[in-house]
Amino acid sequence: MKIKKGFVVREIAGQSVVVALGSATKDFNGMIKLNDSGRVIWDMLSEGKAAEDIVKKLMEIYEIDEETVRRDVEKFINTLQGANILE
Amino acid sequence: MFFIRIAELNVMIKNRYGYVERLCKNYMIDGCSEEDADIIAFATDEQIDAELEIAETKASRAYAEGICIYRNLCRELPKKFDAYLFHSALIEYEGRGYAFAAQSGTGKSTHIAIWQKVFGDRVRIINGDKPIFRYKDGRFIAYGTPWCGKENYNVNDSVELSAICFLERAKENSIKRISPQDALMRLFHQLLAPEDLETVDTLFPLLDKTLTSVPCYLLGCNMDDEAATVAYNGMKN
Repeated sequence: MKIKKGFVVREIAGQSVVVALGSATKDFNGMIKLNDSGRVIWDMLSEGKAAEDIVKKLMEIYEIDEETVRRDVEKFINTLQGANILE
Repeated sequence: MFFIRIAELNVMIKNRYGYVERLCKNYMIDGCSEEDADIIAFATDEQIDAELEIAETKASRAYAEGICIYRNLCRELPKKFDAYLFHSALIEYEGRGYAFAAQSGTGKSTHIAIWQKVFGDRVRIINGDKPIFRYKDGRFIAYGTPWCGKENYNVNDSVELSAICFLERAKENSIKRISPQDALMRLFHQLLAPEDLETVDTLFPLLDKTLTSVPCYLLGCNMDDEAATVAYNGMKN
């Protein structure tokens, strides 16, 4: 599970955003806003990290219980899958 | 082939049809050669075909060429010239530039017509649909261009951009300032989406500068005269 090629993440006015370039525009057109934890998940998915590693990392950063983090990560991944952004 | 000057840039246009030349007549300059051109713009057959395919109403090849040329021209703006096309209606009033943006069909043209009705001839419509914003010396200047939408409102002039106002239809008129984060998505939807990394890395810093230096507003408006006074009072300071 990894972010497809052609998605780039940048910051505008302190806000992390994602846009699609090249062939990725076939799957996604527009701009995605990411909050801080969304940015962490996105970056780790880009590197091809497993959901388990992402959950661990977020628990470290935000000191939130595992169940909540796991639910949020799954929700985020489902959203990306629904938008055809993962491969 | 001919030359125009827009957004303080010399643009060489290599056209096949006369339409775009007539469109640009108020922006033409003489005595330019290819070496003086900041941008060289033309449209390929493939681009014109693609444009005709997506056109909402039946358009001529000549008209489609004009659209493609402008799009190609505008794609060069962020990369080298700190500028970008912003789909909006740009007016000048009291020396200040206001850009009104909205989804198609919301009524940008109607709204600026209300400004003219309420405030009279002192409201100048610089461009009805496709002005260019350019960052110069720490501020944004908004420029008229020959491409301006079906009402054909355009003046070959520029104004400092004082505010960007996003319109939404509403029963009652109201205006509020919105944060750069709230304005970002609305802004993005009214420009040419970047197609390559170079554009991302030049356009996005410009959008950042726009959002941090130009106040953005959200106007809920109807068709009454009051819509213009509410907008003006909300943005004049």
